[in-house]
Amino acid sequence: MSEKTRLRASALAFGVALAAATSSMAEAKTLTISWWGYNGDKLNANIIEPFKKICGCDIVFETGNNADRLNKLKLRGGKGVDVIYLTDSYSQIGIAEGLFQKVDAAKLTNLADLYDLAKDPQGGYGPAYTIGRVGIVYDSAKVNPPISSWNDLWRADLTSAISLPGITTTAGPMVVLQSAKHAGADAFTDTDKAFEAIEALKPNVAKNYNTGSELVNLISTGEARIAIAQDFTLASMKAAVPTMTWAALSDGDIATLNTVNIPKGSENVDLAHQFINFILSKDVQQLEAEQGVDAPVSTKVVLTPEQAKLWTYGPDMIGKLNRLDYQKLNDAKTDWIDRWNEVFSR
Amino acid sequence: MRTSLHPALTITASLIFAILVAPLFIILGASVSDTSYLTFPPQGITLRWFTNIFEISAFRTTAITSLQIALLGTALALLIGIPAAYALNRFRIRLPSWLANVFVLPILVPEIVLGFSLLKSVTISLGLPVFIVLLLGHALLVLPYAVRVVGASLASFDFSIEEAAISLGCPPLKTFFTVVLPNISAGVIAAFILAFITSMNDVSVSLFLTGPGISTLPIQILAHMEQFFDPTIASVSVLLMILTVGVMAIVEATLGLTFLTK
Amino acid sequence: MVKRLTPWILAGPASLLVLLLLILPVGATLLATFADAKGWAAPYLAFFNSGFRRTVLWRTVEISLITTVISVILGFIAAYVVAQMPGRLKSIMIIAAVFPLLTGVVVRSFAWLILLGKNGILNSALLSLGLITEPISMLYTEGAVIAAMVYLFVPLMILTLSGVLEGIPKDVLEAASSLGAAPFAVFRQVILPLAMPGLIVGAVLVFTGSFTSYATPQLLGGERQMMMGTLLYQRAMVTFDWTGASTVAAIMVVVTIAIVLVMTRLARRLNPMAA
Repeated sequence: MSEKTRLRASALAFGVALAAATSSMAEAKTLTISWWGYNGDKLNANIIEPFKKICGCDIVFETGNNADRLNKLKLRGGKGVDVIYLTDSYSQIGIAEGLFQKVDAAKLTNLADLYDLAKDPQGGYGPAYTIGRVGIVYDSAKVNPPISSWNDLWRADLTSAISLPGITTTAGPMVVLQSAKHAGADAFTDTDKAFEAIEALKPNVAKNYNTGSELVNLISTGEARIAIAQDFTLASMKAAVPTMTWAALSDGDIATLNTVNIPKGSENVDLAHQFINFILSKDVQQLEAEQGVDAPVSTKVVLTPEQAKLWTYGPDMIGKLNRLDYQKLNDAKTDWIDRWNEVFSR
Repeated sequence: MRTSLHPALTITASLIFAILVAPLFIILGASVSDTSYLTFPPQGITLRWFTNIFEISAFRTTAITSLQIALLGTALALLIGIPAAYALNRFRIRLPSWLANVFVLPILVPEIVLGFSLLKSVTISLGLPVFIVLLLGHALLVLPYAVRVVGASLASFDFSIEEAAISLGCPPLKTFFTVVLPNISAGVIAAFILAFITSMNDVSVSLFLTGPGISTLPIQILAHMEQFFDPTIASVSVLLMILTVGVMAIVEATLGLTFLTK
Repeated sequence: MVKRLTPWILAGPASLLVLLLLILPVGATLLATFADAKGWAAPYLAFFNSGFRRTVLWRTVEISLITTVISVILGFIAAYVVAQMPGRLKSIMIIAAVFPLLTGVVVRSFAWLILLGKNGILNSALLSLGLITEPISMLYTEGAVIAAMVYLFVPLMILTLSGVLEGIPKDVLEAASSLGAAPFAVFRQVILPLAMPGLIVGAVLVFTGSFTSYATPQLLGGERQMMMGTLLYQRAMVTFDWTGASTVAAIMVVVTIAIVLVMTRLARRLNPMAA
């Protein structure tokens, strides 16, 4: 075979393969899901494989952190992905950027079974599929008296003991909000007061953390003994330091929701609704909770006390959580980051 | 080159190596610790953080992608980088002096911005496949090592040897492979190692260049670390060390390059 | 004709890759910062008007330069000794030098916590020796950031230089010593000039690497030691402000290029023979 014919032959083969690929795509739709990528095997067994059987479609993933995936979606003009998993602060950014479409609640029959705060957390956009909380953890062996309020963080006996979430993490802006409360001011209208309170808190800070792993390392090596943290980090901290305790705060923990949204440029809107409805169903929610993947938002899920210990679970606990206005928060974020940087660089 | 060494030099160098290696023992210890968090000294010994990597399918598939990208990207960078390095040194007068610095740009531009720009201008505007852009992006990212590290070796190469061979009738290409390349093999190996490792470890450029269906190992590890704080990350580091030794051994065996042992 | 084009044919593919995949795309991104509604220089004026950001820029330059100088010196010594080692040992030493590069930044900083932390090995040792009465905080300082970066960049220096020192013919050194040159004179007049191309390349790689680093300063320096990479990251990945991020990037690129050019000039003045 001469060089030229070989080239032509391979081009032909490529063309045939391409045609075959496109035609098979026309038969089976492909649902593209953008999500974090941890616990992939459980997700696959609990959700993906069963859903594939129902829909007769293919499923492809884009993985990465909130920011990476949302950035990419924005660059693509809201195209390329059919369902996107995000934490609520990032899904609010996506909404503000006009990247998502509103969901058709009539197609999500399982919404009726959800806790109210999960049904429609962001004004017509995607529902929440799991719930968590941000609060204070502390080493009960070394912190006496116990922490019972956000105000306790300013206590004089806690010098260099605290690890705060960095301003760029999910829980970071909550520090600003709580500091404003401590100062008796509104964080949005009286930001100076809030940051004065943070300045006053600074002597108690050992090192701020930016990832959950960093937090666990700071606690396990004894660099810090108190932290403002998300609930899913507690188990690892407890494994390292058994006396780590979730503080019972008189002024309440803060809710965090993970949402699912349908981007504006989705080409499989019906399928996306079907998928979202599926992950909100009682069976999937029950399975995910029992296996320790995600806390349930379906009121129909029943867990044993042992299983529930891990989670933000049940109407009592969920009813007490504080909710945040992420829209206001995201608008203030750039300014807050600058101020935060300055306070902590001094 | 081999001359007698001053004892002070030997002692200093031993200290440097001791400091380079010391943290590795901590990481090795942490990777076999039978705890769900990183700790040192290890509490109990287990290999489950190693088997964990092989059991999670996302780690397996992305490890293969990462290896493909790292090997192909490095090969491509060397394939176009070595001739460039050669030209920059051999024809110094005929090429502009700023050209050498152009090849530093890929590591000079902050990686996030490089990844962002590539996604915007290449993947989206030109509609190229994700894998191809990921590969080209990695080749670009490691090109500085291919051009500059090999170039540094060529700078001390005496080109009159090459000219002698050519004037004796040896074809230029053959001369390059038989005369020039063996003399700079240590530089080529160094460039290969640096490029391969940079590509294997890269996060910031890959963040943007991975897409639906295609991800790399470091990104998958980051994803895992969002939710799990166990010693898997330490065992990945240890596995990468073992893998690198393996890759270097294969390169040595297949390319027949005298691996730094002249 | 062909002969005159040879250099360009050889350097062409690599130059084209950089032009098409870097200069054009990144150039477009950076140019977009000049399209600000408040005037073309507005984002830059805003950057330099903030005392905090000027401090971050200056700190980044300072930390990167110190890291480069220390890495060059330590890397040169280590590479010089490696080059003298017999075959097998040399391979082992090179591999040992590469290993630190293979550790993820989180585990690596965990190792630093174990070594230098409040309850770390070093503090425990000093306490039990009675040299200190209370643990000293060695982390979250400029020194900690520099130490962690040097740790990461010495291997790069060793690898770059090992290829260069390997190429220095043994007989050159022997001739020099047999002519009665003192060891330092051999170093100053023979080894250093021959190693200069490698030193320049290594220094450039280390400097640019530390200037753009992001994760290491954040983990070991915290917010007190913030560097430009972190500012850039916050703008790009947290507030999605790509104009702001590109402004930071443009400043970083310009400053790095300027410093790299000065470094190369200085090295050339020290040794006119080197590239």
